[in-house]
Amino acid sequence: MNELQAKGFWYSEWAFALFVACLSSGIFAGTHLYYVYHVGAFNDIAIVAMLEAGIKGGGYGAAAAFGASFLFARILEGPLVGILDIGGSLQTGIGIGVPALMLGAGFTAPLTSFPLALATGAVLGLAIGAVIILIRKFTINSVNSTFGADVMMGAGNAAGRYLGPLIVISAIMASIPVGIGATAGAAIFYHYNKPIAGGAIIGAMVLGAIFPIPTQ
Amino acid sequence: MITIIIILKSIVIGALVGFGVGAGAARMFHAPNVQGMGAFRTFGELNACAGDPISHFSFGLGFLFNSWASVVGAGALTQDVDHRVIPNWSAAILLWKNKNVEETLHNPKRMAFAGALVGVVVVTLLNSTATAIPESMQLVATKVLVPAANWLINPIMPIVFWMAALDAGKRTGIWGTVLGGLSHLVMGNAVPGIVLGILIGKGLDDSGWNRITKTMVVAVALLFILSGFFRAFDVALLKSLQVEIPEWLVQLHETFGSAVKK
Repeated sequence: MNELQAKGFWYSEWAFALFVACLSSGIFAGTHLYYVYHVGAFNDIAIVAMLEAGIKGGGYGAAAAFGASFLFARILEGPLVGILDIGGSLQTGIGIGVPALMLGAGFTAPLTSFPLALATGAVLGLAIGAVIILIRKFTINSVNSTFGADVMMGAGNAAGRYLGPLIVISAIMASIPVGIGATAGAAIFYHYNKPIAGGAIIGAMVLGAIFPIPTQ
Repeated sequence: MITIIIILKSIVIGALVGFGVGAGAARMFHAPNVQGMGAFRTFGELNACAGDPISHFSFGLGFLFNSWASVVGAGALTQDVDHRVIPNWSAAILLWKNKNVEETLHNPKRMAFAGALVGVVVVTLLNSTATAIPESMQLVATKVLVPAANWLINPIMPIVFWMAALDAGKRTGIWGTVLGGLSHLVMGNAVPGIVLGILIGKGLDDSGWNRITKTMVVAVALLFILSGFFRAFDVALLKSLQVEIPEWLVQLHETFGSAVKK
């Protein structure tokens, strides 16, 4: 892409803040759906489980600290590397960390009301977008470091590869038929060059539907 | 009735999320001149599909199944919706008619609108089918996926990130180890600390002690102190050292609304 094309609204700095606002608004409203209907949170099970632990009365500390620290790290990193990580900053920070802080402090309104959830997310997103653009203004010309973004992304990708085997092991511990289904599914997916986590899940679900896991 | 409300809200949420994700993904191709939004793995995967609509579609489809199983089991859509399904399906739609990636995948305007469309369909589909799934399959998802995901977050991810920090050099190794250990103590997971350690270590490697790296270290220290205080780590530490907890500390915690058990 040449310099001439990279101009105009869609490439401008303040449009970035607008895009972050849209996305944050949707993600925060997704957490509203989860809080009210138990569906629709934009995050991985393990992270949503931290919020769930708080909702169930176990305290919001874990979700708040985890979410807030990820948000913080990604806001620092985003402008320096030129890519804001949605997963850490918005999905975990805005979608889990901030709601946990609010619920921990006793503010339930932004999570029980849909319009208020949309507005809260939009305002937070706009603020984050603005902070990132500001950091860019102050640092982009004075630093040429990626601050280890490549190292972190490499580790992120490497960690993702563990999920498939973990699902198979977890399925085997759940019940024999589910374990066999997960093993076969993972092998078939691997044969067709697909991520084995997907095959393990589908295999476990198919066999689990036929032979349900005994509840205790 | 509840399903209808969920569908209506999902349409709004899907459109907002898809719009932001699509525009952010296209802008990644112009980084670092233009601030993008997504993730390095998303960027790499989009490049790996090499502008082939079928590759983009099937890659997204694989992760749609993951999300579907997860939303059924635990109500969580997984990060794959924003990182994989929406960007890749948007790319697939645009590339179907025009194979020129510069006019399609790299164009924030087109990707934003394609993303909004995909977002509406995907988010609504995932959220509305979750309630229609038989209980035996929900049970599988929670009994299989939840433990697996928990193991991934702890201990797999801390170990993988820790190893990456050690392999990246002396400075990242030391900062990653110290902040990782502290973070596991204070926040309950080492990953945020190791990520910050790599950030600081690499920043020092590349540009030394300047205004930015100094500010970062101060900000990180503040983060640890604040989250330690709000998680009552100070009290737990004193307790495990068998030191009497001073009254002023108990009162300080009380003024911020947390009761301290003696």
